[in-house]
Amino acid sequence: METLGYLIDGFGVALAPHNLMFALLGAFLGTLIGALPGLGPANGVAILIPLAFSLGLAPETALIMLTAVYAGAMYGGRISSILLNIPGDEPAMMTCLDGYPMARQGKAAEALAISAVASFIGSLIATIGLILLAPLLARFALTFGPAEYFALFLLAFATLGGITGKNPMKTVVAACIGLMIATVGIDNTGVQRYTFGVLELYEGVDFIIAIVGLFAISELLFFIEEKAGGGKEKMVVNKLSLKWADIRNILPSSLRGGVLGFIAGVLPGAGASLGSFIGYTLEKKVVGKKGYFGQGDPRGVAGPEAGNNGASSGALVPMLTLGVPGSGTTAVLLALLISLNITPGPLMFTQNADIVWGVIAALLIGNFLLLLLNIPLVGIFVKLLSVPPMFLLPVVTMIAFVGIYSISNTTFDLYFMVAFGVAGYLFRKLEIPLVPIILGLLLGPEMEKNLRHAMDISDGDWAVLWDSGLAIGLWAFAGLGLILPYVVGPLLRRRMGVASASSGNPEGD
Amino acid sequence: MNDRIFGILLITLAVAYGWGATQLPAPFGGSEAVGPETFPLLLSVVLVLSSLYLIVRPDPDNAWPWSRTGLELVIAVVVLVLYAALLQPLGFILSTTLAVGTLCWRMGSAPLRAFITGAASGVGVFLLFNFALDLALPLGLLSFLEVS
Repeated sequence: METLGYLIDGFGVALAPHNLMFALLGAFLGTLIGALPGLGPANGVAILIPLAFSLGLAPETALIMLTAVYAGAMYGGRISSILLNIPGDEPAMMTCLDGYPMARQGKAAEALAISAVASFIGSLIATIGLILLAPLLARFALTFGPAEYFALFLLAFATLGGITGKNPMKTVVAACIGLMIATVGIDNTGVQRYTFGVLELYEGVDFIIAIVGLFAISELLFFIEEKAGGGKEKMVVNKLSLKWADIRNILPSSLRGGVLGFIAGVLPGAGASLGSFIGYTLEKKVVGKKGYFGQGDPRGVAGPEAGNNGASSGALVPMLTLGVPGSGTTAVLLALLISLNITPGPLMFTQNADIVWGVIAALLIGNFLLLLLNIPLVGIFVKLLSVPPMFLLPVVTMIAFVGIYSISNTTFDLYFMVAFGVAGYLFRKLEIPLVPIILGLLLGPEMEKNLRHAMDISDGDWAVLWDSGLAIGLWAFAGLGLILPYVVGPLLRRRMGVASASSGNPEGD
Repeated sequence: MNDRIFGILLITLAVAYGWGATQLPAPFGGSEAVGPETFPLLLSVVLVLSSLYLIVRPDPDNAWPWSRTGLELVIAVVVLVLYAALLQPLGFILSTTLAVGTLCWRMGSAPLRAFITGAASGVGVFLLFNFALDLALPLGLLSFLEVS
């Protein structure tokens, strides 16, 4: 029951007026980011980090705001799926299948409202799951030694591509590149590595600059290449007429979707996309012939939407308890934690209890805020959807510049960011995933530290790395994470492809 | 083909990186089980192996944007570099007007609207930062406007 006590303290933190204000601001910005074309959740959070930083926000306030942005972006992603048949991010793909047909039948407002309710239920279930599971996992993680952590980091990299990932070897390549960049600078023993005498490199590469460059700048270049500067046509949303019976109708679907999504979010390698996919397929199976999936069945909107929001809250479990994020956006949140000088992992639950529980409480409150924001204000977000990217992306780029510039007031960082942007564009063309690069940058120092500790303990015997049962298990899972995509990946991808091809042609990111 | 070329570049990088690691000086106070060179060496081995895989089994290519689109991309990168270079000398408002304006224009907006967007966003963000958030952005050429 100590969890309850912590949670109440957490509410004390989250309900402090300025924290509440920043949570509301974050929720609003997040929905905006999710809805706007060309601004995924990871991208949006990345751009806001330097701003939160240079504003000198207290750690818990900064984290609460950006968690609210994260939750909001998941809500916002559905708006363009339903109205335009273009998913704002990959997990929102399944929402297109029934959401877009509903909109075409003149029931856009209902589809948006239903998906907001389903998102709320999914997030709520997953947040409760987070509250129950996180302290247990944190306690378990306290038994990890350096060798186990080293194996855990490997597991994180190996499963990052997910079992639906295309080419796991490219994940390995990307992770290596990230880890190599992380070795630049003065290391623990005081030796300069790869600094080439450049003073700015002595402290290593600032991962915030790398993240903003890789995500935001490369996005701009991609839009230029695809000449996608023109806006989308304006969508008209009908007046909402939602009856209580409609909500009751989707409740079971949302509950099932939320639970499944949470599980998919916690497990390494599954992620939100798979969460919403399983949510949708299960709904189809359970409802059976009585449903009219693919033709605008509200349950087909509720299931995957609850699933993807459940998964995004579930993904916070490994990030908070182990310090190992399972998705791009949680990796960006981890970057925020590290730059706030908070060491993520099991100790955070005891040493920074106020922050962790404040964030969890903020997640609960944020969900209510988002539900309140999303039903009456949906009109505003719909209007913003028609802002053409040719105005939006340059302005976003400018905000990225301002953010990075305001951290240290030097131009050097800006050149560096542009260089990372160009590199990010090239990597995306070569289908090298960006998230493992970022994870490598973030986890590199910790990984090397744990390797060093493990070897010091064993006096240089490499066998210590797979000495305990736990470590062997982690190694085995990491191996599976690399092999499974070759075995079941093509099959799953084909099924997901078939499901989405049957209703138009949504382009994922 | 892309993957093959990229793989060869990566192997070159990995070998250079690994060689660099062997050249690192021993840390002060004698060598340990894991010195500064151990982790980089591990990385370079893994990168060599995974790049070999890319060379042996490359993915199908994405088309590169040559010709006009490629030129637009180069222009965009040049604009970004100039923006970074001119931010301090020209000041935030002027450089933003130019950079955002040019980018909007190159992405397909009418020139007038593009530069109006640039100027409006520059002035807006400047006011927000300097007065509401108390973060100083450089005024540059416009510093005569400074109210102290």
